[in-house]
Amino acid sequence: MTGTMTEAAGAARGPAAGAVTREMSMQQAINAALRTVLEQDPDTLVFGEDVGALGGVFRVTDGLQRDFGAERVFDTPLAESAIVGMAVGLAMNGWRPIPELQFDGFAYPAVDQIVNQLARMHYRSRGAAPMPVTLRLPSFGGIQAPEHHGESLEALFAHVPGLKVCAPSDPQDAYRLLVQSVRCDDPVVYMEPKARYWERRPVDTAAGAGDMPVGRSRVLRPGRHATLVAWGAMVHRCLQAAEYAAEDGVELEVVDLRWLKPIDAEGLAASVSRTRRAVVVHEAPLTAGLGAEVGSLVTERAFGALAAPVERVAGFDVPYPAGPLEPQYLPTIDRILSAVQRTLEYERP
Amino acid sequence: MTTPSPTPAGPDPHPGFGPDLARRCYREMLTARRIDEEAIALQRQGVFPAYVSLRGQEAAQVAGAAALDAERDFAFPTYREMGVALALGVDMVGYMASHRALWHGGLYDPMASRFSSLNAVVGGPVPHAVGWAVGERLRGGTGCAMAYFGDGASSEGDIHEAMNFAAVYRAPVVFFCQNNRWALSVPNERQVAGGSVAARAQGYGMPGTAVDGNDAAAVHRATAQALERARAGQGPSLIEALTYRVEPHSTSDDTSRYRDAEEERAWRDRDPLTLLRARMEADGSGDAAFFEQAEQEARKRAEAVRDGVSTAPEPDGTDLFAHVFREPTEELARQQRVWYEEVRP
Amino acid sequence: MTETTERTFTLPDLGEGLVEATVLEWLAAPGDAIERNAPLVELETTKSAVEIPSPHGGTVARLHAAEGEVVQVGAPLVTFVVEVPAGEGGAGAQSGIVGRVPTEEEPPRRRVRLRPPEE
Repeated sequence: MTGTMTEAAGAARGPAAGAVTREMSMQQAINAALRTVLEQDPDTLVFGEDVGALGGVFRVTDGLQRDFGAERVFDTPLAESAIVGMAVGLAMNGWRPIPELQFDGFAYPAVDQIVNQLARMHYRSRGAAPMPVTLRLPSFGGIQAPEHHGESLEALFAHVPGLKVCAPSDPQDAYRLLVQSVRCDDPVVYMEPKARYWERRPVDTAAGAGDMPVGRSRVLRPGRHATLVAWGAMVHRCLQAAEYAAEDGVELEVVDLRWLKPIDAEGLAASVSRTRRAVVVHEAPLTAGLGAEVGSLVTERAFGALAAPVERVAGFDVPYPAGPLEPQYLPTIDRILSAVQRTLEYERP
Repeated sequence: MTTPSPTPAGPDPHPGFGPDLARRCYREMLTARRIDEEAIALQRQGVFPAYVSLRGQEAAQVAGAAALDAERDFAFPTYREMGVALALGVDMVGYMASHRALWHGGLYDPMASRFSSLNAVVGGPVPHAVGWAVGERLRGGTGCAMAYFGDGASSEGDIHEAMNFAAVYRAPVVFFCQNNRWALSVPNERQVAGGSVAARAQGYGMPGTAVDGNDAAAVHRATAQALERARAGQGPSLIEALTYRVEPHSTSDDTSRYRDAEEERAWRDRDPLTLLRARMEADGSGDAAFFEQAEQEARKRAEAVRDGVSTAPEPDGTDLFAHVFREPTEELARQQRVWYEEVRP
Repeated sequence: MTETTERTFTLPDLGEGLVEATVLEWLAAPGDAIERNAPLVELETTKSAVEIPSPHGGTVARLHAAEGEVVQVGAPLVTFVVEVPAGEGGAGAQSGIVGRVPTEEEPPRRRVRLRPPEE
């Protein structure tokens, strides 16, 4: 089997030498990852709105300015385009910038710098200008936030040549993916699922990327009847759905995609070749969402194995709604299970 | 209609603009002029799909860039800074290759040249200059960043964001606006509220200076002072070089639809090369032999650039994929195989 | 050592996507010696009137369009006789001038063959 690994298989190899495992939330795990790269790489810089004394609105950068100084961890004025533009210039002067945009919806004012500059400067300069920037973007819904404070921009960024995009689903992976993103010599958009910031899990801060290179997905729960594909906060919801399905005797496999560009097409194909059915779940609106890409990749790579068309369960094609309506907008357990049922019942015409 | 301000009487007493510097600026301004003329011809001969002339802005570009230290400073151009590229020693065939549409950013090395890849998003490179300068200060370097933009770009939000950032961080940046009075078809009066780009510096707590952009000595002095200030840790400055785009915005433009030919003629008469030559003849820093030799050398260089860019090989199709990532992805490798098998000539 | 050869200049796209131009006035006549970049012809496009500088130094051999005539982009405009280093003559060479519009367009080659699905 290529393209995937299970957490169980990883655990079977035992903890790495010097492992430091303690329970922490995703927001603390990202903080720990930032500490790791700030300690190990003197070229790293952390900056954004309120990341200094305040420690960020989600406290992800808590204590970093105190411990690493106001030169390497600093506040910026409120201007997302200039934050990303500054990162481009810092990278051209030999730094490894880790800018934060405070909320996903505020990435839109920076789209020109992200798309026209950050993603293209290395290409435009024929490889001369280094661009190892990790753009941290608290993302997705689920916290009943004000308008523009819960958006899913992964399809937009995955569509841009020159960018890589990832989204962790739990604290351990948040730690691992951030260290990996910062060490990557290409620009990476790192999308943090705000709804999962606070759940505590054990995190091994000595764990490297191991055998999970950039672009590798993972199977979080094995199953034989259908594959659920998700990323970010929807991974947790899919694991819940798999629990319910198991009660009915249906064994669902859950693939955490992790990297949204590059996408692990082989890992997807390997899973669907076993289960013969796939349901992709995301928060972003359905039309032209990344679920279409996943469905297409599965169809291209595992068409012979498919017993049913790939189903998509996504946000509706409406703006992210205000608090009380958000739970009806986001994919629900029932919508996921209904889609699974459709794949199980499907008969070829 | 805008008319040029009167030519200052007599040589400017700028002590930093001595005979050697005047001769260097004249030679490079003239070379830029001749390359520009060859480029316009190349467009009409079908070699360049389009071209953007710098004619009339040679003093603003060359004399300003002559104040830069090519060893430690870094320039961030838009797409009309050919004279800056020349003054910084950029490989001009590689630079002009962008206008032949061989590669968007040109074929020169921007890092080695200290001159970023030319950029068609006006205003976009200005925050890069601020980031570069913040990074330079953080690592204890003494270099300065020079950010180029025009009167049209001065309306872009990125310019204001970048100036605010630079002033907040006291970053060693010189914001260099070439106000050539026309943002394509729209004149200053309908572009710049308040009438002055330089005046906006006050709002950011930094010096703002408007200079005669066709006066090489004045441009050099203002730029040298701004760089000195930045290098001393006193933060950014804004220079507004008042000049004029005597040619159309691009070779696809038609100025007769929006401006008066008489205005163009008046500005052609205030040619920065003519002004500098008069100054040098008056103060003795250039004689007839110098000007004749400068003309011959400029023509020779321009012809060499013309022939070099006209015959430069087109990039290989593998270049499509070569520079997207430093750490390539399997998917892009797969797409390159598709190109190799189904597209490759 | 030099030899003489003919070079035909075809009408380039003068303004990002224009398809034709009208000859307003020839500024050189057959038999004239002409220097590179000397005024050759004045053309009018839908965008503006432009003077075309000669792309070659040499002798004007033939004009391919009369004044007032509309010429399509890519069509021959004028033929020169030029001197080139010995051995670099030869038909079809375009003297390093690389326009956007090819003078002779080859049909695209087909390499992919399709097979009908098996029943």
